[in-house]
Amino acid sequence: MAQYALVIDLNTCVGCHACATNCKEWNTQAAFGPLSDYDPYGRHPSGVWYNRIMSYEIGEFPNTQVFHLPKSCLHCQDAPCVPVCPTGASYKREQDGIVLVNYDDCIGCKLCSWSCPYGCREYDEADKVMKKCTLCIDRVYDETLPPEHRKPACVLTCPARARFFGDIEDPESEVFKAIEERNGFVLFPDMGTNPGNHYLARTETKINLEEFEKHILKPDNPLFLEVMKRHHVSNKSAETTVEEVG
Amino acid sequence: MHPPISLIVFFLTAGTSIGLFIFTYFIEFLTLFGKGSGLPKEVVLVSGIISLVLIGIGAFAASFHLGHKLRAWKAIKRFRTSWLSREAVFSGAYGFTLLIYLFLMYYEINPFFEHFFGILTFIIGILSGFSTAMIYATNKFVLEWNTSLTVLYYLDMYLMLGSALFTIMSLYYGLPYTGTFVFLTFLFVALGFGFRLAFNIRQFYLKRPTLNEALNLPHNRTIRVLDTGSTTENYCTTEFYYRKGKELLSTTLPISYLLTFIVPLILILYAWITGTVNLYIFWTVYLSLLVGSAVERWTFFVEGNHVQNLFYGLYPEEGYKLRKGFMERKETRISLYN
Ligand code: SF4
Ligand code: SF4
Ligand code: SF4
Repeated sequence: MAQYALVIDLNTCVGCHACATNCKEWNTQAAFGPLSDYDPYGRHPSGVWYNRIMSYEIGEFPNTQVFHLPKSCLHCQDAPCVPVCPTGASYKREQDGIVLVNYDDCIGCKLCSWSCPYGCREYDEADKVMKKCTLCIDRVYDETLPPEHRKPACVLTCPARARFFGDIEDPESEVFKAIEERNGFVLFPDMGTNPGNHYLARTETKINLEEFEKHILKPDNPLFLEVMKRHHVSNKSAETTVEEVG
Repeated sequence: MHPPISLIVFFLTAGTSIGLFIFTYFIEFLTLFGKGSGLPKEVVLVSGIISLVLIGIGAFAASFHLGHKLRAWKAIKRFRTSWLSREAVFSGAYGFTLLIYLFLMYYEINPFFEHFFGILTFIIGILSGFSTAMIYATNKFVLEWNTSLTVLYYLDMYLMLGSALFTIMSLYYGLPYTGTFVFLTFLFVALGFGFRLAFNIRQFYLKRPTLNEALNLPHNRTIRVLDTGSTTENYCTTEFYYRKGKELLSTTLPISYLLTFIVPLILILYAWITGTVNLYIFWTVYLSLLVGSAVERWTFFVEGNHVQNLFYGLYPEEGYKLRKGFMERKETRISLYN
């Protein structure tokens, strides 16, 4: 059975919030919109978002790393938010595994959001219904769009190209291969939700020195001096130690 | 979790309504086997009408929890999978069968149908309470609630409220059941005390997930929330984490114990020992139970910690609970706001 989902590369994600912003932008004006804002120009602006980016720091000082985690509905294969819905407004599509809310049936009881361990559903106080990422179903099936645009808004906008969209059950798809090759992982595997969205782990970037020497470190390369200089400086900074002051 | 006042009102009114009916009808039921002398018609009628009005108020209050009240009927559609749907169906059916029972009883149309609907209302009432409790008890993501104690306490709360009010009716109408119901009220309040204590003690032994588990990282990594991606509060931080409530918890928890259990138990004991079982004391017992239960239900919500709070660094702090058994124990503080 097909399962459309996103695969997000934490290695290249720079935490720029472009996906969240474009998601908000698209879904405010498209079929599932609007996404309400409360007090948008006041002191405490807030509102409904389908996608939020969290930043975490891992390790202990000075050996720390920061990574960013874009989190939208993971379109779980065993979505716990669906069976609890009393009206059937929340449902999972059989043909592609997308989890949706039918705004015309939702009574706004919020129980589905209580049953999502990821906090991926947000209640719209203005429309009084539950909202969540639609996997841009109104883009991916829109035949008026050119084929290369039939992708979620967040995927198209990502400047770091950290987001991929496709059928994670189809061995030919880009996302299936990415998950296989780079050991894609899911959030909260213990919760029995079997999420569709996968993440690609951060890896330490290594420079292939052989390639480096072969192509760049040649004295006849006009950039040779500049490269040497930079290399030197970055080597220096790697050795920088932290001194206790006072 | 953020406590919804509308649901707390529903718990108390539905609780009193169903609890009262359970006892009222049970006494009538016993007469079928020649046990006891039943109740005067007037008492059944008054008690039934109180139950009916209360469940009506409860349904009205609960509708304020919904975004779209007029669509509430749609909640019957997923009876097969959703406890909330079952609750809606049973609570609605309870009110309906109760009305029919009262009608049949008042006009003494047919004793068979009267008792048939009496038994039906009795069973549906219990199922309604059970379904309400199961909404909370089946939520795997709020570990504090995810226990059979939630259900046991909840049903016991119905019996506490019901028996206390029935004692008042018994005193008011001079029925021969006062002694029994004083005892029953004491019993249910004492049981409730036990269940609630167990519910609280259990929280110390919960195996809580950690942010590392949420992010699928090795257990021995230190990790800290740097930024949650929103300047102000959002739905996830207000619905699942009630900051003010958490601050008040250390006050409301003792108050709820005091008013729900200690005061009623002491008053009943006093009444027993001194033989002063009177209306004043039992009105105080009921009101104390009612106010105490309101605070208790509020506390129940605030005590619940949703696992999604992990992503925001708002889940209770604690050291890593090592499940794999060989990594060192490390105290890690996950905190965002200090
Ligand atoms: S991420 Fe949450 S809302 Fe989305 S399918 Fe899974 S449980 Fe449901
Ligand atoms: S808030 Fe809407 S979608 Fe969610 S459980 Fe209630 S009726 Fe279903
Ligand atoms: S798939 Fe669409 S709705 Fe979902 S997060 Fe991306 S842009 Fe938003």
